[in-house]
Amino acid sequence: MFSAEGKLFIGFGSSLPLFGCEIRLPHADPNMAEIETLGILDEIQSLVSDKLQVVSYKWLSRNFLVSSNDAKRLLQDFVEKRGTGVEVVYTLSGWLKTDPSVYHIRLVSKPKLTEVKQEFDENCSVQIYSVQACLPKDPAVLWNAEFVQAEELFKQPHEVNNCLRDNRFCGILNSFVKRNAEEANGTTSVLPVKTTGTSGSSGYTLANQSPTIPQPQQKKIQGTSPNVTLQSPNVVKDVKNESKPAENKLKVPQLTVNTKKGETDKNSSGTGGALANMWGRASAKSKAECASAKTNGISNSADAQICAREEIEHESSDDEGQGVNVRRSYNGEVGRKRRVVFDFSDEEDEFKDAVNLASPDPPKKKSMLDSKRSSYSSDIEKSKLNFEEEKEDKPNFKHRKETDRKSKEENLAFGNHNNMNSSSSEKVINQVPAVDTIAKDKTRDAAPNSPKRKKVLKTRIDERGREVTEVVWEGEEETKPESDTTKKADNIPASNNSNRPSAVKKSPAVTANAPLNQVGKTGSKKAGNKDPKQGNILSFFKRV
Amino acid sequence: METEDSSSENGLLHRKQALYSSLDSCFVIQKEMYRGQQYSQIYFARLHLMRTLLYSLLPNWKPHIQVCTVIGLEEGKECIIVGTLYKHMKLKPSILEEYSKERSATPLVRPHNFMHPDDHLILEDESGRIKVCGDVLLPSVYVTGVVVALHGKETGTGDFWVEDVMEGGLPHQIERPIKSGEDKYVIFVSGLDIGSSTSNPLKFQLLVDHITGHLGDKKEQSIAAKIVRVIIAGNSVEIPRGLLNGQNLGSKDQFTLFEPIKELDIQLTQIAAGIPVDIMPGPNDPANFSLPQQPLHRCLFPSSSAYNTFRSCPNPHLFQLDDVSLLGTSGQNIDDLEKYSDANDKLEFLERTLRWRHVAPTAPNTLGCYPFTDRDPFFVETCPHVYFVGNQEKYETRLIKGAEGQIVRLICIPRFSETGVAVVLNLRNLDCHALSFGTEFS
Repeated sequence: MFSAEGKLFIGFGSSLPLFGCEIRLPHADPNMAEIETLGILDEIQSLVSDKLQVVSYKWLSRNFLVSSNDAKRLLQDFVEKRGTGVEVVYTLSGWLKTDPSVYHIRLVSKPKLTEVKQEFDENCSVQIYSVQACLPKDPAVLWNAEFVQAEELFKQPHEVNNCLRDNRFCGILNSFVKRNAEEANGTTSVLPVKTTGTSGSSGYTLANQSPTIPQPQQKKIQGTSPNVTLQSPNVVKDVKNESKPAENKLKVPQLTVNTKKGETDKNSSGTGGALANMWGRASAKSKAECASAKTNGISNSADAQICAREEIEHESSDDEGQGVNVRRSYNGEVGRKRRVVFDFSDEEDEFKDAVNLASPDPPKKKSMLDSKRSSYSSDIEKSKLNFEEEKEDKPNFKHRKETDRKSKEENLAFGNHNNMNSSSSEKVINQVPAVDTIAKDKTRDAAPNSPKRKKVLKTRIDERGREVTEVVWEGEEETKPESDTTKKADNIPASNNSNRPSAVKKSPAVTANAPLNQVGKTGSKKAGNKDPKQGNILSFFKRV
Repeated sequence: METEDSSSENGLLHRKQALYSSLDSCFVIQKEMYRGQQYSQIYFARLHLMRTLLYSLLPNWKPHIQVCTVIGLEEGKECIIVGTLYKHMKLKPSILEEYSKERSATPLVRPHNFMHPDDHLILEDESGRIKVCGDVLLPSVYVTGVVVALHGKETGTGDFWVEDVMEGGLPHQIERPIKSGEDKYVIFVSGLDIGSSTSNPLKFQLLVDHITGHLGDKKEQSIAAKIVRVIIAGNSVEIPRGLLNGQNLGSKDQFTLFEPIKELDIQLTQIAAGIPVDIMPGPNDPANFSLPQQPLHRCLFPSSSAYNTFRSCPNPHLFQLDDVSLLGTSGQNIDDLEKYSDANDKLEFLERTLRWRHVAPTAPNTLGCYPFTDRDPFFVETCPHVYFVGNQEKYETRLIKGAEGQIVRLICIPRFSETGVAVVLNLRNLDCHALSFGTEFS
C-alpha cells in the first residue's frame, strides 16, 4: 500500500523488518528509518490521546529534530494511519477568490476544509498543521504547546545554538545569518556563530572554511571593552577597505594581540567585573560580528557581498555607540558618585555638565578607567603577581601602557613601604614600555622611589571653580576631591583619586599588603574628611 | 547540527538577499545637547530649508511677481510671500487644560478630530504674521508647520487674500535602473501589540512561520524564499501600563511587565534566525516619546540582538534596499494630521506630507519632537520610492506620480493585532499585496 508520500510498505506495525522492502521515492527524506517513523507515530499517538497535547508540525519538528517539511509528512502519515478519533487542523494558503490582491493563510479544521477551500483560488495549498484530541475553542490554544517549547529553547544558555536559534528546520536557507553566541559573563571560550547549511553549496565554500580563522580570537574577546572598542573602529575600517581572504589573515594577529590583552585584563579586573563583562560582551559582540563580517566578505556571490557590506555598516554604527556606552559604564562601575549610564539616551546628561568632555579626549577617560582597573590588580596582586602585570604590559596598547605606568606610579606613591622592592621592580617594568601618552599627567613625574612621604592636606580652587581638597605627598601631588565634585573633567587630577575608591573597595581582598594599604588610604580618606576623630569606613573591612 | 542540504535533490531554497543601507543618521540623536532651548530654532531651520527650496521654484511658477516679506506687504499690491502656516484652531487642546484635568500615566488617546469651521490660517515668517483668507487655501487641508509660498495681495482689513499657493512638491527622485531582475519581497507589519488582549499570538506565529519557511508547501516556501527583509513598523508590544503607578515594582510585577517583550524577543529570534529584520519603535513601545524616536535598545532583545540580521531602527526610518529607497513612520505623523485636518483617506495624508516635503509638519506643535537647533530632520530631501506608515486601520496602497516623473508607492500598514494583515511589497515593480492570516478554524 502506498501512503501519500509514496512509500511502499510491506507488513504492518512493528513486524516490519529493519530494512524492509521499502521503496522510497526520491523526495522522501532518506534519513528516516521506517522504525523511527513508527516510533514517532506511536509517540504522537500517546501525546494526543493520553496527554491531550496539541501536536503541531513545528512542535514535532523541534522535538524529534526533523525538518518542518518532514514533520508535516509525519503528521500526514499519522492522520492516515491512526487518524481516527483525532482532530486535524490544516493550513490553507492561496489567493482569495474574492480579493485577488490578498494572499490568505488560514487554519481550518478537517470538517470545514472543503467548505473553506471554496474561498480560495484553485491552486491553493493544503498542509497539515496540527493534530489534537479535540478542537479548542480558542485558537490560541494551538499555539501554547509550541510556545512553551520555544520558551524552553529560548532559555537555554546563550551560547547553545539550538534549533530555535538557527532556524535549522525550515525550508529556506540563509547562510548569511550570523549569530554571536558568546555568553555574557564567562571567561570560557565559546564557539561563535555558525553559518547554517553552507556545506552543500559550492558558492559558499569559502565562507564555510573561513569561520575557523576568527573563532579562536573571538573566544577571548571579552571584558576589556575600552580597548576593544578602540580597536574595533580600526578593524571595521580595515574590513571596509578589503574583501580578500589574504587580508583577513593579516588582521588575525592584530586580533590576537587584542584578545590576549582582553583575557588578562579580564582576569585582573576582578570585582566589578560582572558589569564590565556585560559591556565587554556587548562590544565584544560587535567585535565578533565584525570578524564574522570579514568571513562573509570572502564569498564571491553578490549576495554574500551584500551581506558583508550590510554587516560592516551595522557594526560601525554599533561600535561607536557601544564604545561610548562602555566608557560611561566604567565610570559608574567603580562606584564613584556618578550615574551608571547604561544606554545611549542618557548621554545627554553627561554632556550637560561636562563641557570639558570635549577637551579631555576619550582615550583619557579610558586611561583613567584603565588605571583604576590596573590599580585593582596591583593592589591585590602586588606581592605575588608582579610578573603577571609584566605580562599585562607587554601586549598593550599605548593607552593601556600609559595607564599602567601611571597607576603603578600612583601605587608607589601611596607609600607602600613594604613593597619597595616590588615597587621598584614594577617601576622598572613601567619604564620599559615608553609611550607617548595622550593624557599626560602633570603630577606623574615625581620621584616615585622616595620612601619619605608626608601627607599634607591642601585645599584649592581649581580651574572650574570647585573646591578641591588634595592630599599632597612630598614630591608628588595627588588629588582627592570631595566626592560631590567628582566630574569627568577632573580626569587629570582625578585619576589618582580614582585609585582611592578602587583601593578602598579592594581592601578586603588585599593580602599581606592590606594593612599598609588600608592605613595609607584610610589616612588619606580621613584627611579628606577633615575629621580624624570620625570613624573610618575601612575599619569595617579590617574586621572582615 | 542538522543541515537540510544533505537531503533532497530539489536543492534547498536559498533566501534572496538585497543590499541594505540605512540612511537613518539624521534621525538618530548623536551630539545634540539640550541646553533648555525652545522650538523656535527647529522652526527657523525648517523655514530656512523650505524657503531656499521655494525660492528656487518660484521662477518656474510665477516669475513676474515680486517676493516680499510679511512686513513689507503693501495693500493691494500683488506679491508672493513665503512662510510657515499656523492654523488657529478653536478646539485644539491646550496643554494646561490637559494637565489640570488629567494626570494619568497612560497616554491620552484622543482619536477625534479638532477641526472647526472657524479655523483659519496665518502665515508667519521672520518678520511677522498675517492672516490668510480666500478659497484657495483651505484650512481643512493645511496644518501648522507647513511652509508654502502664497501669491496674493493684502486686503484692506489687513488679511492676505490668496490667489494661488505653491507647496514644495515632490522632491527629486533618484531613478531606479530598470532591470528585469528577480522578485524580491519586503514584508511590512505593524501593530503586533504583543501582550495586549486583542493580539492573537497564533496569527503572529503563522506569519513568522510563513516568512521563515516552515509553513506551506514547496511552492509557497519558494515564494517565501524571495522575502528579503521584514520591517516591523511600531507598536510591537503592549506593556501592562497599569503596573506603572510610580511605585517600585516587585519582582512578580517586573516579570509581568517584561513578559510581552520576552515573547517579542522569542518571535524576533525566530525571524532573525532566517531573515533580516528591522524593528522600529512606535507610540506604545518602550522608547522615547518625541520624534524622532530612537531605536529600541538592544538590551530589550537579548537573544535577537545577537544576530547580524537584527536591526533596531529609529522612527522615522529611511533606508535603501537594492536601488529602492524606502521611508516610513510608525504612524504618529499621520495620526496627528488626522486630528487636525481632513482628507478622504490616509493615503491622501501621506501624499500631502510628501508634497509638503515634510514627514511630520505638525511637529513640534502638536506632535512631540526634539528641539533641534540646527536642522530639521523631517525634511524630505529626495523622494523615496516607497513611503509607508504603520498602525493604521486598514491596508491601503496607491501609486502616485510626480511632475518630474517620480513614482512613489504609498502604503498604509494595518495593525496586525486587529486585522491579521501584513503587507508584501515587490521591490522589482513596487507592486503590493496583502498577506492575511486567519485562525478561526471552527
